[in-house]
Amino acid sequence: MSTRKPLVLGIDAGGTMTDTFIVDESGGFVVGKAATTPADESIGLIEAAQDASDYWDVPFDDTFRELEVTLYSGTTMLNTLLQRRGKRLGLITTRGIEDDVLMGRGVQTWAGYSYSDRIHAVTHVHPQPLLQRRMVFGVTERVDAAGETVIPLYEDEVRDAVEVLVGDEAEAIVIHFLFSFLNQENEKRAEQIVLEELERHGLRDSVPVYVGSELRPVIRENSRLNAALIEAYAAGWVRGQLQNIESAIQTRGFRYPLQTVLAYGGLCNIRHPRLHETFISGPVGGVMGARYVSQLTGMKNIIVTDLGGTSFDIASITDGYVPVEPEPTLARFKLNLPTIAMESIGNGCGSLVKVDPVTRKFQIGPESAGSDPGPVCFGRGGEQVTVTDCNLVLGYLNPDYFLGGKVRLDVEGAERAVREQLTDVIGIDLHEGAEAVLRLMEREAQAAIRSLASTRGLDTSDYYLFGYGGAGPMHLAGYSAGMDFSGVITFPFAAAFSAFGCTTADYQHRYARTVALAIPNDASDAAKADVCAAINSSWAEMEIQAKEELLREVEGEVRFTPLAMIRYGGQLSDLEHVSRFSRLEGPRDLEGLIDDWEDLYARINSRVAKYEKAGYQIFELGMLVTVEKVKPRQVPHELGSPEPAADARKSSRRMYYRGEWVDASTWEMDLIQPGNRIPGPAIIEHPATTLIVPPQQSVESDEWGFLWLK
Amino acid sequence: MPSYPKDWIRDLVDRKLPWQLTKQMMSEFKDENRFDHYLAVLQERVPWDDAILLPLGEHLFIVQKEGGERVVKCDCGQEFGDYRENWKLEALVYIRDTREKLDEIYPGHRKCDPEWMELREFYCPGCATQLEVEAVTPGYPLIFDFLPDLEVFYRDWLGREL
Repeated sequence: MSTRKPLVLGIDAGGTMTDTFIVDESGGFVVGKAATTPADESIGLIEAAQDASDYWDVPFDDTFRELEVTLYSGTTMLNTLLQRRGKRLGLITTRGIEDDVLMGRGVQTWAGYSYSDRIHAVTHVHPQPLLQRRMVFGVTERVDAAGETVIPLYEDEVRDAVEVLVGDEAEAIVIHFLFSFLNQENEKRAEQIVLEELERHGLRDSVPVYVGSELRPVIRENSRLNAALIEAYAAGWVRGQLQNIESAIQTRGFRYPLQTVLAYGGLCNIRHPRLHETFISGPVGGVMGARYVSQLTGMKNIIVTDLGGTSFDIASITDGYVPVEPEPTLARFKLNLPTIAMESIGNGCGSLVKVDPVTRKFQIGPESAGSDPGPVCFGRGGEQVTVTDCNLVLGYLNPDYFLGGKVRLDVEGAERAVREQLTDVIGIDLHEGAEAVLRLMEREAQAAIRSLASTRGLDTSDYYLFGYGGAGPMHLAGYSAGMDFSGVITFPFAAAFSAFGCTTADYQHRYARTVALAIPNDASDAAKADVCAAINSSWAEMEIQAKEELLREVEGEVRFTPLAMIRYGGQLSDLEHVSRFSRLEGPRDLEGLIDDWEDLYARINSRVAKYEKAGYQIFELGMLVTVEKVKPRQVPHELGSPEPAADARKSSRRMYYRGEWVDASTWEMDLIQPGNRIPGPAIIEHPATTLIVPPQQSVESDEWGFLWLK
Repeated sequence: MPSYPKDWIRDLVDRKLPWQLTKQMMSEFKDENRFDHYLAVLQERVPWDDAILLPLGEHLFIVQKEGGERVVKCDCGQEFGDYRENWKLEALVYIRDTREKLDEIYPGHRKCDPEWMELREFYCPGCATQLEVEAVTPGYPLIFDFLPDLEVFYRDWLGREL
């Protein structure tokens, strides 16, 4: 019998595999993996959870009964949008901007495209709008850019619009007026009228009404409109899906509501009123995990890389700070939803490999074989060669230990496919060709790291490189080769690092308000006091809303973190800054806030970029509210002998490396102890991942059990 | 190298192929048998039997006659003579070179200045279909749109002799 008591279950349902990560009270963890089941995700995730709990010998029935927190991040939300499975929407908007839903933004015509599609304009096309143009009604009203009502709301036009929308069987109604984030009056009155009319038709309970200024009261009209439409369109369906998952785990004994992950890091109940904030949650988990490791170990600067089946994602942490992307793209729509800034290329281990018929060069991705049918070697009907097939051909993957032996890999099938589709076409040796594919993929991954480093102005030698994701450890040596880092690190739980990251998060909500504050360089104390008052009242307003909403979802002590998005006068974008003042008591506090912000600005953009002369502007204030959640308690271990225990050694296997076959020792990753050092060439196997240690390199386990590639 | 069923190519010609498939085809490498599928689709919808060698426009083709001569032919069956001569010389021409004539299609300020530019419309004498429009300065010679080197195209691109 086991004495393990599962505490937190993190689920990360990716495009290919569903990972689970179960943590117990003392920080011990176990990783499970199963193929994602897009038709009903609860099947795949229960299977993955079972896979994990099997390693602990905890009876599966007890696992869910003992868990305190279960959190889900995945692709359900995104798929709802991509497959246009949402509600039939009606939109009531300011007269004159009815076509915004069709025009959108130019960037939306190619967002998410591969590089070659981006430069071929013939492929550019606007995303299909979430509602039909005839379901959009303009009503006469106008608030100007200063928030003054210049035309009152023509109420009868709202009534007429509702009449038609009801006749057209609208399933949800969105109200979005120009500049309503500055002045809600017209929008709120319109909401009242819409509700009255729906009441009259007996539809008040069945047709939800969404008001733009309540969902996202932040400047930028099109992004704000998209956010409101996406919420109205997809949240209902997605919440239903999440409730399915919740009831699937609750019938297995789980006692609490299901949690999910917000785009800016943090957890929320699946009943969160702005569920669209959870739609971009996939890669966020990994960054939260890296931030947690950074707090734990004191590594302040980190470049995180996640190599999975479908993509290679990169982010950076500088001095513990994770940059925020204020206007990300979701399913080809721009949203003004702050999101952890990530770069991504369509280059993973499930990516299809082809020969360009004109240049006769290999091309990897961006299409992926996914989990079904998957790579050729899965033997599930996949016919096109993937990077995984090349890994198998070269001996990097153990055909009998993939997912701990649950999937037996077909080496001959993979060899035949690589020959037929790649190496025979070009006329080169099988192994030489397969290795060339891997080097090409690693080079593209490295190019993406270099490009992130140069666009964010990072000197990689000051940064630790974290490599995770199911395929991360296998290619870490390859894509870090020739670059200078403080250290190159991977994790025994690399395959479920994103799920691990989710387990380290707290419950969190984020609020934002648009303001228009200017602080000239020579502002008087009186002017500064006015700015302080405006900031304080905005923060206070958000705190009230936050407390009410968050405490409806979880219990505990609420922690407030005020944010200020500050820019130099005349700049076009701002930089988010966490304020150390909860309220600005006077001009000195405001100066302190600005000084802190300027420090951050200088760290990110270099000191010479500071420009105090221009003064400062604030257009947005924010508030992060946090309630702490139980977390895995990682504790450092005593470093043991460099010599691994005898049972960690499995045997040896030939692998093809730089044009020749070398004998690599093979090891069981879970049995490597802190302090152990394994010289290359070595292959360190885990049921869910494989770490390749090339000749001349070695791997060392540190006091946390993290694996350093040296 | 991908390859698509002939039905897809037919739908593509008819503009009925769903956008996602169209986009997928655009993003992929060129399919190997596209030209033959394309010719076959075109051939099955013209009412005559002469073999199409190359399409020249939406309604015009270079075809091989029984006697071996290669001529430009409209899908209605009207012939325009040897493909090495400009077919426009055999077409009906309507020139819009006054404000009144331009106003019929470009009302108000949308039209060009006829002293600087005229529109020449070419029609099929057989079916009166508009085949081509030129926008040129007045007095400019007729444009010879396209003189393909059929032999080289067949040999070097399709890998077979014509």
